[in-house]
Amino acid sequence: MTRSWATMEDFEAFLDDGGLVEADDPMPDAYRQAVFAFIEMHANSELMGGLTERDWIPKTPGLRHKMAVLAKTQDEIGHGHLLYMVAADLGVKTRVEMLEDLFAGRSRFHNVFHYRAVTWGDQVAIAFLVDAAALISQQAVFKNCSYGPYKRILRRIIAEEGFHMRLGEDRMLRIAEGTDRQRLMFQESLNRWFWPALQLFGPDSESDDVLLRWHIKSERNEVLRDRWVQRFVPMLQSYGFTIPAPDMRWDAVRHRWDVGSIDWEPLKRTLAQGGPDSSRRIREAADNWSRTAWVRAALSDNGAAANGAGNGSTSTGGS
Amino acid sequence: MSEPHGVREYLLAFADDEHLMGQQHTEWIGIAPFLEEDLAVSSIGQDELGHAALLYELVLDLEGVEATDPALDALAFGRPSDDYRCCHLVEYTTSDWAEALVRHWVYDTFEAMRWKLVAGSSLPKLASVARKALQEEAFHCRHADALLDKLLAAPEARKRILEALEVVGPLVTGLCEPVEGEAEAIRTGVAAGSTTDLLAPLQQAAEERFGAAPVNSLLDHGQNRRTTRSADFEPLLARMREVFDYDPEAIW
Repeated sequence: MTRSWATMEDFEAFLDDGGLVEADDPMPDAYRQAVFAFIEMHANSELMGGLTERDWIPKTPGLRHKMAVLAKTQDEIGHGHLLYMVAADLGVKTRVEMLEDLFAGRSRFHNVFHYRAVTWGDQVAIAFLVDAAALISQQAVFKNCSYGPYKRILRRIIAEEGFHMRLGEDRMLRIAEGTDRQRLMFQESLNRWFWPALQLFGPDSESDDVLLRWHIKSERNEVLRDRWVQRFVPMLQSYGFTIPAPDMRWDAVRHRWDVGSIDWEPLKRTLAQGGPDSSRRIREAADNWSRTAWVRAALSDNGAAANGAGNGSTSTGGS
Repeated sequence: MSEPHGVREYLLAFADDEHLMGQQHTEWIGIAPFLEEDLAVSSIGQDELGHAALLYELVLDLEGVEATDPALDALAFGRPSDDYRCCHLVEYTTSDWAEALVRHWVYDTFEAMRWKLVAGSSLPKLASVARKALQEEAFHCRHADALLDKLLAAPEARKRILEALEVVGPLVTGLCEPVEGEAEAIRTGVAAGSTTDLLAPLQQAAEERFGAAPVNSLLDHGQNRRTTRSADFEPLLARMREVFDYDPEAIW
């Protein structure tokens, strides 16, 4: 059934009422663009997250351990795959255009994946702190998401991310209960990754944030960030690790940890592609993409759909 | 050479091949030509590492050691280089995707035949692993074949695949080369036949696949019954052991 909304007010009333927008609905263009940009960034982040972790996947200590890590990686790439399809159905860019924009440094992905994992401890910190931050964000989007196809994909993503977080937590516990060298390695990783992970939530939401108004996000950035802090600060401290926040204090009145003032400069630089590892990361991804161009060219010559080209139509719907 | 030692060596050769082949797949995660292929290598890599783990468990069974993670990992990662029995094909380190694909096809085509040799093994656990592995291998072979069907039909890609075959082909004989202990494994019913006998059918399959025989069966690859390592092995093992070596006391 085709629906339409005469005015933006009608559309927003529909959203406020808990309405779900589908891919073939004649949604306002501003909404389409906003949802697309949000999902594209999520898809890019799943992919670049895989590239951040890939430096250490082949070095995973342990045979069964490596199998578990591969299962997680397979899930993450699968998420990227699904998200690119959902984004492509919005008809703003094809999947190939999104990937090419990503590899040309023209589109965004989460700040944390502009950093380099320099030790195995970093890999564990990512699996634990960063995946948890992503999960908290995704749960909040899922709760009240107005775009139907995205909401349905998020249900699956969140279920799988829950398993990943438990894997990350288990690896962190082994280190916490391990040798001095292991604990030192993880403390150094925590020093590197605590602030980037915290900044994944972004600065405080603006009062007129359209993502909130259109129920793409359901909670303000600062609320989600605080949820992560209250959960992970005490947990990490209970294992004897030091939170690298010199101004952090316990607020006895509010019964909450206050991490102190946050320096947002690293986040701003990072999102302008000036992060610590942005240029290497994007250059390597682009090099790899171009080195295998012959494969995609050959498969599309054969009329194969395997390269994901040409999925630019809005007409497929998201039932 | 005592009997259990021969069987142990036979199982180790199989396990080491599976382990290193799985390892080679992990190197492509995130940089395969398209997302579906990233998914495929993560999945196939997991299967191969899973086979390796089950085969190493059988080795531990022979030794009467419980297959805990540390025991398994000591076997998989902690042996001296000259105790490994992998072939040079799986040690070969490449950043060329065409070579990786040709190796994937050759290896999995061989692997399916190799599992059949132990499907009726006198070691019941090995026979049961073989039944599961054969189902997975059917999928792995279909995956490689589906890609090659399309790539060999496109002129530019065909050229690259055939060039890759020139590089990978000479390593194929070594894949079929058995360890010394294979004779014991056959005599005790652990395996139904020699992997040497798989070379001819493998060559025939390759001829049908690529339209060219990729190997010279008389070539001596210097593996010396799989007791020597190629130049790629040490750096590869060092990479696999990097985290273990950071702290030998640690459990990760």
